[in-house]
Amino acid sequence: MKKMMKTAALSAALAAGVALALPASAQEDSIYIPNLSYRTGPFAATGTPLMNGQRDYITLLNERDGGLNGVELTYDECETGYNTEKGVECYERTKENAVVTQPWSTGITLQVLPKSNVDEIPILAPGYGFSPMADGKVFQWAFNPPSSYWDGASMILKHISEGDLDNLNGKKIALLHLDHPYGKEPIPLLQALAEQHGFTLLPIPVGLTEMQNQSAQWLQIRRERPDFVLMWGWGAMNAGAVTEAAKTRYPMDQFIGIWWSGHDGDLKLIGEEGKGYRSISWSVPVPDSQLVQDIRQYVVEPGKSLIENESELDSVFYQRGLMISAMLVEAIRAAQEEFDTQAPDAEQVRWGLENLNMDEARLEELGATGMLVPFKTSCADHTGHGGAWMLEWDGEKFVKVSDLITPDREAIEPLEKQEAEAYAAANAPWPVNEECEM
Amino acid sequence: MDFLNAIFVQPFADMAAAPDFLLQVVWEGLVGGVLYALIALGFVLIYKSSRIFNFAQGIMVVFAALTLVGLTEKGVPALLALPLTLLVMLVLAVTIERAVLRPLVNQPDIILFMATIGITLFLIGFGEIIFGGENKVMITRELMIPTDSITLDLFGGFVSIEQKDLTSVIGAVLLVAALLLFLNRTKTGRAIRALGDDHQAALSVGISLSTIWVVVWFIAGVIALATGIAWGARAGVSFALEVIAYKALPVLMLGGLESVMGAIIGGLAIGILEKLFEVYWGQPLMGGNTEAWFAYVVALIVLLFRPQGLFGERIIERV
Amino acid sequence: MLYRTAGQFKTSYAADHALFPVRQDAILLGVVLILAFVVFPLTASEFAFRALLIPVLIYALAALGLNILTGYAGQLSLGTGAFMGVGAYACYKLITLFPEMNIVVAIALSGFFSAGVGALFGLPSLRIKGFYLAIATLAAQFFLVWLFQKWDWLYNYSASGAIHVPNISMFGITVAGPRAAAITQYYFVLAIVCVVTFFAINITRGRIGRMWKAVRDMDIAAELVGINLMRAKLTAFFVSSYIVGVSGALFVFLWRGAAEANLFDIPLSFRVLFIAIIGGLGSILGNYLGAILIVALPVIISAVPAMLGLPLASATVEHLNVMIIGVLIITFLIVEPHGLARFWAVIREKLILWPFPH
Repeated sequence: MKKMMKTAALSAALAAGVALALPASAQEDSIYIPNLSYRTGPFAATGTPLMNGQRDYITLLNERDGGLNGVELTYDECETGYNTEKGVECYERTKENAVVTQPWSTGITLQVLPKSNVDEIPILAPGYGFSPMADGKVFQWAFNPPSSYWDGASMILKHISEGDLDNLNGKKIALLHLDHPYGKEPIPLLQALAEQHGFTLLPIPVGLTEMQNQSAQWLQIRRERPDFVLMWGWGAMNAGAVTEAAKTRYPMDQFIGIWWSGHDGDLKLIGEEGKGYRSISWSVPVPDSQLVQDIRQYVVEPGKSLIENESELDSVFYQRGLMISAMLVEAIRAAQEEFDTQAPDAEQVRWGLENLNMDEARLEELGATGMLVPFKTSCADHTGHGGAWMLEWDGEKFVKVSDLITPDREAIEPLEKQEAEAYAAANAPWPVNEECEM
Repeated sequence: MDFLNAIFVQPFADMAAAPDFLLQVVWEGLVGGVLYALIALGFVLIYKSSRIFNFAQGIMVVFAALTLVGLTEKGVPALLALPLTLLVMLVLAVTIERAVLRPLVNQPDIILFMATIGITLFLIGFGEIIFGGENKVMITRELMIPTDSITLDLFGGFVSIEQKDLTSVIGAVLLVAALLLFLNRTKTGRAIRALGDDHQAALSVGISLSTIWVVVWFIAGVIALATGIAWGARAGVSFALEVIAYKALPVLMLGGLESVMGAIIGGLAIGILEKLFEVYWGQPLMGGNTEAWFAYVVALIVLLFRPQGLFGERIIERV
Repeated sequence: MLYRTAGQFKTSYAADHALFPVRQDAILLGVVLILAFVVFPLTASEFAFRALLIPVLIYALAALGLNILTGYAGQLSLGTGAFMGVGAYACYKLITLFPEMNIVVAIALSGFFSAGVGALFGLPSLRIKGFYLAIATLAAQFFLVWLFQKWDWLYNYSASGAIHVPNISMFGITVAGPRAAAITQYYFVLAIVCVVTFFAINITRGRIGRMWKAVRDMDIAAELVGINLMRAKLTAFFVSSYIVGVSGALFVFLWRGAAEANLFDIPLSFRVLFIAIIGGLGSILGNYLGAILIVALPVIISAVPAMLGLPLASATVEHLNVMIIGVLIITFLIVEPHGLARFWAVIREKLILWPFPH
């Protein structure tokens, strides 16, 4: 009950905003930012901290700076429960005044993607969605900065092979993945790389109903003895996998997850036993950064945040949520400056996302030094390919253990182009932005 | 030829080649099977006494486990949280009996089945409001469940047995023994069985339907708590656990809806068989994840030969 | 008053057995059709089309299919979602293999695939009954969804395992795909739903329908009076799965635009079953009433707190939503186990008698 009261009380300001937002967002003095969130269902465990981070960053701007250049930002969540059907309903519900849509699931992204050209609302899917969305010529309205799943796969391989993928020759690499569009994303690239560099790829799917009971999958891993296990897991699956790995006594230092599989809460379940587990990430928690201090001062302490306890502030996912909102806000800011308007529309925010420059200087101004990989998007490149760092679980928290790793773009680009073209062909007539220079 | 070889020869050769691995597979299957059996047992008790096909058993597992963990998080000592959780399950049983079952007496089976799905939805929403959706850690240490693992060196390999799995197997055996004693030796237990045999006859000798229903739903709640602890210790407690109800359905059909023995044997058999099939046939030949349907197909095949399940009561139809 | 039957005399058996024995029923239907064909399209917003009107029609069609099997022939099915999936994937394969094919033809044909699969999984119904039969349909449910995931030919080897609806036009108007206008899709779905409903009404009133009802009420007795059980049950599975398959094809092609295997998982089956039961088993009208309740209600409930300015976060609203639906299901089952259709029947009886109490 306590939580409910808290939720109710704390979201008063938010909901009052929502109530007014529907008529008010068309006005000049606020910008409507919907988020297709999920704080319910089997994926709530990983979704909630991200949503909290996103929400708190916007609250911070409204509280500390009185909005963005004087315009209030209206952040509105529509609950999807990671369910594509609900997701589409939420998209339809929020699209009218939205300057952006954040689908928060690869499944929902795939549903919304074809509509983006028609509805003309930019999709912001940071670090998820369809990897070929990087091709800005074809996917004019979709953005997945700062790194795509294919970038992630390439970077993990680069890291474990110590820079040269040919070192993996003859090795066996298992991909433990959720049996869902999200989990299947890296397979085409990994297959192509496996052929090229002579390693064996062994995809091991985990069904949505098997997330908590992966003993069959880990028995397979025990039998096949892969040299490395990569994980594309989400929600309850991460915790299940790490527990089983500890049980099977699979060496943790050969077990590496994508950025969505590096959630503090999941690893806390096994604590010490998870020591050595790594997760690649394009964001790093920096607990003493200026931004986090401001969040503490303006959002958490006045009781405007939804977080359960303060330790969540330092978690990877919460701070990643902050960075996601930061990217979006920077895009809106860019649009404001370029078009000299208080409240840019969706078309203008699209321009902003296309000309996003999150370099180190900018991050420092935001008080977020070292929290996000620096990247820059362009008309042709909607991802930015900023790279990522490797994080390692030390038994209590994730710590950064590598320098910036960058993806091997030369290997990825042809495949990206090919898939993007195939997508456009299958969805003909599909407008292509010919103005972009590659 | 290769194909036949892969189906009929290779898997058995693999089994013989790595007996330690085979044992591990069987053990994993057994642990899973025990949990299936426990859930199926909850179903059977309720079905026997009230002809209700209780779909809510799955969510009751989650609800019980969440209550236990939630109470401990609020600072209640574990040994006090346990009886408090039981109290909550009792309140739940009484509420369900009063609010749902009593008004629905004598309705067709499918209506009652739907009502339990309604209960499921309600509990999902209610639970998420109270406890939130995060994955929670089962309080194994506070409950004094050992968490180490035993490694047996066998056949040049090893079999690893988690102590918590072992505990849950032993706990389940004790629970079932207690339950059988209760059903066979106590007055209330006999009343439950009498209701299962013939509703009207039982009523006419003065057995109170509503008391028995509360008792039965409470026992189902206790079983749910045990299942929740055992499963939660393996993979944490979250709403994703709810899907294990789907695993118990084929177990139930296989064993027969009315049979306690059927639920136990069916659970163990399905647990072990699905694991063997997945590891030796499913993963190499069919791309894995066969556990999602294997149990159903087995149950379907068995039902074709015995339409009342292995241990169910013979269906006699009169016109 | 409104439903006064005085003055309407039946002079032949044919008149007594007519579709609308009371003239007002026909008028009422006319009003509903005018609403559906003229008033809604003129007034609805795009959100209303995509989140309310189109899904209500498609879910009602799926429930109609299930209702033929469960409500008319008495065979419990928990596999509706998977059969919808068969229709959807069949339609997808037809459209991508033969891009020239008219979409109406593709949808009509895809129903036959689902009907075939349905009849196959209906075979055990000859031996297994009641809840035990649910296992056969659940086996279909889980096996088929697994197959949708593993058989990559079905989704043309796409990396994500999802299927996408291309832009499809008919007579120069885009009816499916991202470029289709909501109103076109609405009319398309409405037309198909009307045609299928018309056939369903007639089939259930005719010889086959009576055969099904006899089997439902007691299959052994039905067999004794000379009904071929196998034919009755299998035709029920066939017809039911055909309609469910068509609704599945519409579900993906005219509404969702893209789909992955998990979409057709068991929650979808339960949702359709809810609609059929809350609407009323053994009724055609009930499917529409049930669909309106189950589909539209959550959409409306989640909009209410925002409208009233209640301070609730969207997650809390969603939780409350789930709770309220659970409670509503239980309440409806308690108040009227025969569903909304029976509610209407009672109201209609009362209206006919009104203002006299007896």
